[in-house]
Parts: sequence; C-alpha cells; structure tokens
Amino acid sequence: MIWVSWRQHRSQAIAGLSLLAALAVFAILVSTSMRTAFSHDDLAACLARSEGTRCPAAITAFMNSFGSVVNISFWGVLLVVPGLIGVIVGAPLLGRELELGTWRLAWSQTVPRTQWLAAQLALVTGALVLLGAAITAVITWYREPMDRLTGHFINRAYDFEGLVLTAYILCAFGFAVLAGLLLRRTVAAMVAAFGPWLVIRLVVEFMLRPRFQVPLTLRQSCPQGCNATMGLDTVPPQTGHIGDWVLSVSISAGKQVATTYQPGSRFWHFQFIEAGIFVALTAAALGATIWLLHRRAAWTA
Amino acid sequence: MTDTEGLMTQQGADGGVPALRTDRLGRRYGKVWGLRDCTIEVPAGAVAALVGPNGAGKTTMLQMIIGLLEPTEGQVKVFGQASRANTTQTLARVGYVAQDHPLYRDFTVAEMFRLGQAMNPSWDQKLAAARVDALGIPLNRKVRRLSGGQQAQVSLTMALAKKAPLLVLDEPVSSLDPVARLEFMRDLMAAAADSALTFLISSHVVAELERFCDWLIVLCHGHVQLAGPADDLLGDHRLLTVPRATADSELPGTVIQRTDSDRHSTVLVHVGAVPLRVQGHAGWQADPVSFEQLVMAYLQRASLTIDADPAPAAQRPGPSAKAVTR
Repeated sequence: MIWVSWRQHRSQAIAGLSLLAALAVFAILVSTSMRTAFSHDDLAACLARSEGTRCPAAITAFMNSFGSVVNISFWGVLLVVPGLIGVIVGAPLLGRELELGTWRLAWSQTVPRTQWLAAQLALVTGALVLLGAAITAVITWYREPMDRLTGHFINRAYDFEGLVLTAYILCAFGFAVLAGLLLRRTVAAMVAAFGPWLVIRLVVEFMLRPRFQVPLTLRQSCPQGCNATMGLDTVPPQTGHIGDWVLSVSISAGKQVATTYQPGSRFWHFQFIEAGIFVALTAAALGATIWLLHRRAAWTA
Repeated sequence: MTDTEGLMTQQGADGGVPALRTDRLGRRYGKVWGLRDCTIEVPAGAVAALVGPNGAGKTTMLQMIIGLLEPTEGQVKVFGQASRANTTQTLARVGYVAQDHPLYRDFTVAEMFRLGQAMNPSWDQKLAAARVDALGIPLNRKVRRLSGGQQAQVSLTMALAKKAPLLVLDEPVSSLDPVARLEFMRDLMAAAADSALTFLISSHVVAELERFCDWLIVLCHGHVQLAGPADDLLGDHRLLTVPRATADSELPGTVIQRTDSDRHSTVLVHVGAVPLRVQGHAGWQADPVSFEQLVMAYLQRASLTIDADPAPAAQRPGPSAKAVTR
C-alpha cells in the first residue's frame, strides 16, 4: 500500500517540493538583503540596549525597505496557500476514485476499503505534516530579522510560525477528503472544502485568537501629552516590550493611555490552542470520512 | 421457495460445494429495492451468464457477491463460506472486472500490475506478464494510451492474476466496438477453458454470451426470472406454432410468451422433461428455442407482470418458480 499511495500522489509530491523550493529561493533572496540591512544598520545592538527606543530612524528605514514585502504582500499569498495545498491534495483522494469509477478497482483488491483509506490517510497526512513543518521552518528563518523588531505574535508572523500553519494545511485536507466522499467530484470538493476552511481560518484569527486568554491592560499616565500609536511599524509596541501583541490602545482625557495586549510569553500557549482547534477539526472530518466509508458500503457506478 | 431449497441441496450433493450461492439476497436503496429475494446457485467450474435489461439489479447483485456492497437482507456464500462486505477473506475469494474496466489512466501497465501485487497476497505476476505479452500489450505503456479492448484485457488480466476461484465480470464488453467484443470474449473463453475458475458474467446483450455460457440467470425488475443449466433450460422449452384459435389451456406445459399473428400464434412454452407430442394436432409445429428467444420471452413476461400488478413476479407461485426450480 505504501507504494500504491506513493504512486498515486507522486505528481502532487513533486509539486509540493517544487513549491517548497520556490519559496526557499524567494526566502533566500529577500532574507539575505534583509539580514545585510539589519546588520549594516547595527539594529541588533540598538535592540539589545533599549528595545529599539533609541534608534527610531534606523528602524523606520528598515521597515520602509522591507515592511511591505515581508509583512503585507506575503501575507495575502500565505493566507490562502495552506488551504490550497490541503484541498488540492485532499479532494482527489476519494473524489477522483469516485468520479472516475476507479474505486471499484481499488476496493475490490484484497484490501478492505477502510484499510486502504487508513493507509492513504496515514501516508498523505504524514507527508503534509513534513511539508508544513518545512514551510514553517523556511518562513521562520526568512522572517528572523523582522521578528526581532516586531516579535512573532502579531498576526502576520504568528500565522506562519510555530504549529498553526501545518494545522491549517491538515484542516483543509480533512475537509476536502470528506467533501470528495460526499460530492464524488474532485473540483467540486476542492471548492466546497476551501470556502468553509477560509471562513473558519479568518473567524479564528480575528474573533477567537485575541480571546484565547483574557488580555492584559497596561495603563500609562502621560503628563506631557499622550502620543499613542499601534501597528507594525511601532517598535517597540506601546507596552515597551518587543514580542507583545497589542490589541488596542486608547487615550482617556489626554492624560492616560490604556493598552490591552497579549504578552509575548503567551505565544506558544496560543499556538497550541489554535493548532489544537484545527487538528480537532481535521480529526472530526477524517473520522467522519472513515465512518461513512465503512458504513455506507453502497455506491452505484 | 421450499422447492428451491430442496433443489439446492440436491445440486450441492451432486456437484460438491457450489462456487456461488445467494440466499434470498436483497438490497434496498432508501425505500426502493434494487434487488430482492434473489436465490441463485452457480456450480464450481461453470461459466454463468447473468442476463437482464439495464437497471435490472445486475450490478447491485454482483457488487454484493464480490463484497463491495453489504446486502440489506439475505446472504452470499462463495465456495460455502459466507461473505461479509469489506473483509479481506471475502475480497480474496472473488476477482472482479467492473463495468467499463476502470484503471488508473496515468499508470503504466507494469504499474497496474505492481498495484495488483501490492494489494493481493496471492498475486501471480508471471501469469499477468505472460498474458499481456501474448496479447501484444507493452508493459511500459500508459493505460491511457491503450485501446478500449486492451484496457479491458488488462482489467481481466488483473482479475485472473488475483488467483481468486470465482471471477465476476460486469458488462465486460458493453463499452467495446464489435471487433473488440469478439476478441475479448474469445480470449475470456480461452482463459475459462484453461482454468478451473468459475465465471459469472453479466450482460444486457444476450447474443454475445450465448456461445460461451453453460449456466443462465435471467434477472428483471430486481427478481430472478429464470436460472439453471443453459442446456436444460433450452431443452425444457419449445417454440410452438399453432393455429390462432388454439386456447392456452389446450397447449402443453406453461405458456411463457404468446405472439399472435393473422392466422398463427407463436407460443413459447415450458414443457419440462415431458416428451412433447405434436403429431396428433393438425397445423402444430414444435421447434427448439434459442438462447435469445428464451431470455427475451422471460424478460417480456416479467415486464408484463410488473405492469399489470406491482407485486413482484418471482414471489408468486407459477411458471416462473417452476422454471427456477425445475
């Protein structure tokens, strides 16, 4: 079965490795110049001394050069890419067998269909975990100079580092496998799985993630007038610690700044919670698929 | 159905364990029965034809036999052992060539065989390689580059190399052109002659099975209309040509199908083993029936019965049951 599964997914594996290679080339090109600029401006020393408060000009110059390409354009692409990888690999796994009628060949050999599915899922899921981990490693390395300024708790770094990127891929994969079984069409299953995946992905990011734990609030009084800002370019953030994720900043009566934030030390805790949500969704979708395939031993050609 | 069971036991005693036996097999899709009350038996070594129009329940029946589909009621036994859908034991006992002979189109023939080897413990790689070699099919050619006839041959080769004692073929030639049909059937029969395997071949075209099959099962509207050894079934029926005025009650045996023309009627009757005498009746003529006439008569009768009365034909006593249990 290992050979069968490998042979059936060979072209997808090659495409996945090509994607990874392209990403690595892009990462090396951009990250090398970013690293050169970072050391040239001696940002490391500045960050070590004062968390960036003493060298705003150098930081601004660095952000102007790289902030847009690293934090913004890339995000749009990477928002959808894990979902696309997941549905492109997941939808044909059952959808194509049912669409082309090859399930009658596959499941009439001396391997019961649930065993066939279990073997396919184990191998493909394993490959996707490796791919997700490799993409995560490349992006983490690529972003490293930027992360030293912005931390990796902000949305655009958090989504591609740690555990969640792999979990996003798995979730889209699980949805697409189930959709392939239910719709018996590859392309329809891709579309049907991608939509809900994207909705859940965005809902979790913008509505649930800020509330995984109760945010902290920092109140600072500013007798000489308050100058509160938030955003990627604010280094360090309003809390004064690089790595904190500032959710909101409000100035009351011109005398006090209230900053709600998630401290940077919660990064991994949040990663585990969010990856857990997506892995649980994956398990539910794949569990439903195995159960349906086992129980509904009925497809007419 | 007591008669049927009695007969089954007899046949079992005569010919050893039957290759295939279904016992009141039924499958329901939602509220509709795709197949019901289907009791058949195929002795070991037979080449059995499963004949019926499209939608008669042939594929449903075959998929229950091979273990792709769980019966709603009843049981399948292959060489005496009860089948359970989706289990290694059941899958190992039956080779299957599905309708339109599905294969992975981007695989080469050799890769299809490697898949067969990986998924079947008793796979016979020598047999597979020798068979496609004899047919002139290159091992390194992609499946999508093969003709329809060659794809059918690769499918059949995979089923043969699985080394299962019972081979089930679902409409094996329906998607092929006439020349490829003939070639495929010829090769199939050569394979059948070379082996001790039992074959069950479904088709909605009777003519292509006539010369090859020694066992006949006619399925219509999800019910068995006729089943048994082909020679006996042919011998038990006569095609009578009688004056049109002759009433059914005057005819010997049971009328299966009657066609009236201006002056004469053509009647297909089931007379059983009783010798038929027509010499005493002026204007009567008795001819043997052909495979196709026999099948068509039972299929048409089934259609008429269903149209007239929604109750399933095979559940009622009458000529159908007699024919089945002869």
